[in-house]
Amino acid sequence: MNCEHAKEQLLDYLNHELPEAERPLVAAHLEECTECREELLALQRVWGTMSAIPVPEPSENVRPAFYAMLSAYKEETQAKPSSWAAVWQWLQAVFTPQQALRLAYSLALVGVGVAVGFWLNKQPAQTADNQQLATLTKQVADMRQVMLLSLIDNPSATERLRAVSYTKELNNANPRVVEALLSTLNHDENVNVRLATLEALAQLAHEPAVRQGLVQSLAKQESPLVQSALADVMVQLQEKRSVKPLRRLLNDPALNEAVRGKIKESIQSLSNGQAAPSTSNKPYDETFHPTPSDGAAGTAV
Amino acid sequence: MLRVKAGDVDRMGLLFERYHRKLFGFLYHMLGQAEASEDLVQTVFYRMLKYRHTYTGEGEFRTWMYHLARNVLADHVKKNRHSVRHTDVAEWSEKIGGGAGADEKLQREQEVATLHRALAHLSEDYREVLVLSRFQELKYEEIARVLNTTEGAVKVRVHRAMNELKTIYLRIEN
Ligand SMILES: [Zn+2]
Repeated sequence: MNCEHAKEQLLDYLNHELPEAERPLVAAHLEECTECREELLALQRVWGTMSAIPVPEPSENVRPAFYAMLSAYKEETQAKPSSWAAVWQWLQAVFTPQQALRLAYSLALVGVGVAVGFWLNKQPAQTADNQQLATLTKQVADMRQVMLLSLIDNPSATERLRAVSYTKELNNANPRVVEALLSTLNHDENVNVRLATLEALAQLAHEPAVRQGLVQSLAKQESPLVQSALADVMVQLQEKRSVKPLRRLLNDPALNEAVRGKIKESIQSLSNGQAAPSTSNKPYDETFHPTPSDGAAGTAV
Repeated sequence: MLRVKAGDVDRMGLLFERYHRKLFGFLYHMLGQAEASEDLVQTVFYRMLKYRHTYTGEGEFRTWMYHLARNVLADHVKKNRHSVRHTDVAEWSEKIGGGAGADEKLQREQEVATLHRALAHLSEDYREVLVLSRFQELKYEEIARVLNTTEGAVKVRVHRAMNELKTIYLRIEN
C-alpha cells in the first residue's frame, strides 16, 4: 500500500468504517511509515477533540412538554377515556412508581385543562363534552388518591405532606384513603404532617367513617397542638360524640394547661350546641377550611 | 416503531425517552441554540406522531428520525433566515478563549472551544455529515439513507468535511 492510498483510508480506519479485510493493510503501512503515522495522530487529535465538544442537556421543560403534546394528540385523535389505562401502563414501565405517578397526575390535569378549554370555547355546552369533562375530572380525583396512597408512607415528611395535600379539592375519598389518612393522623411522628392530615380529614368529615375516626383520634393524640386543633374541629363539626373522649382527656394529669382550658371551652360549646368563634391566633385556624369545595369546574382548574 | 404506527401512540413515550437526547444533540450542533433546539425536538416528535404512516419499517427508526429532523431544521432555517445563528457557541467559546493557556487543562479547553467554533463555521452540508457520523454515531450506510444518497457519496463528503474542519481550525487558532 502506498502513502497516497493509505492517507485516504486513515479517517475510515479511525472511524471504524473500513472493511475488516483492509484494516491489516493500513495497519501494516502505519508500522513502517512515519509520515502516515503523524497524519493519523493529527486526525485522531481533531476526531478525539470533537467528542469533547460540550452539548448541553435538554432542559427540564422538554419532557413535560412532550407528554402534554402526546396527551393532547391522543385526545384529539381518539377521544376515548380508556386510553388512560394505556398511558398509565407505560408510565409505570418507564419510570419509578413515584415519577410515574407525578407524570400521570400532571397528564390528567393537562387533560382536564384541554377539556375545559374545549368546553368553554363551545358556546352551547353539549352533553358529550360535559360528560367527557366529568370523566376527566373523576380521573384526576382518582389519580389524587393514588398519589396520596403512594406517598403517605414515604420516609420524608415533605413527601408525606405532599401526599396529604392531594386531598385538596377532593370531595370524596375511597375507604383506603380514609384509612391511610386516619392512620397518619394517629401515628405520624411529625406534628406538621398530623396537623395537615387533620385539616384534610376535616374537609372529608361529611363521611361517617371520617367523623368516627376523628372522634376516636382524640384519645390517641399527645401533642398539645394536635389536641387543640382536633378539639376545634369537633366544635366546628358540632360532633357530640366527642364530648366523652374530651372529658376523658381532662382527666389526664399530663394535659397541657392551655389545652385544658381550650377543651373545657369546647365541651361547653358542644353542650350549648353552638360553634365557637374560631380563635385566630393559632396557626391551625388559618388553614382550616371546613367546607369542601364543590363543582367540577372548581376541581378542574 | 411499527407498533406506534399501528396506533399504539403511547409507545411514542418510550421512543422519546430513548432518543430525545440524541435528537437534541443533533439539532443543537446544527443550530447552535439550545432553546430553539428544544422546540424543534418537540416538532420532530409531533411529526413522528402525525406522519407515522410514512414510516415503512424498512431500516432503522433513527434514520427516519434524522430524516424528519432535517426537514424540520430546514423549515426552521427558512423561517428564521435573518436571525443570528450559533450564538450559544460564540458566547461560550469567547468565555473560554480569553485566558492565557497556562496550564494543560486550560489549553485543552481552548482546543475544544476552537474546534467547536470551527465546526460552527463549517458549511451546513459538511457539518451535517460530521455531526451524524461523529456525534450521532451513525454508520456511513445509515447517513446515506438519511440523506437519500449513496454510501460512497457520504464517505467522500465526510473526508472533505474533515479536511475543511482542519483548515478552519488552524485558521482560527493562528
Ligand atoms: Zn505513508
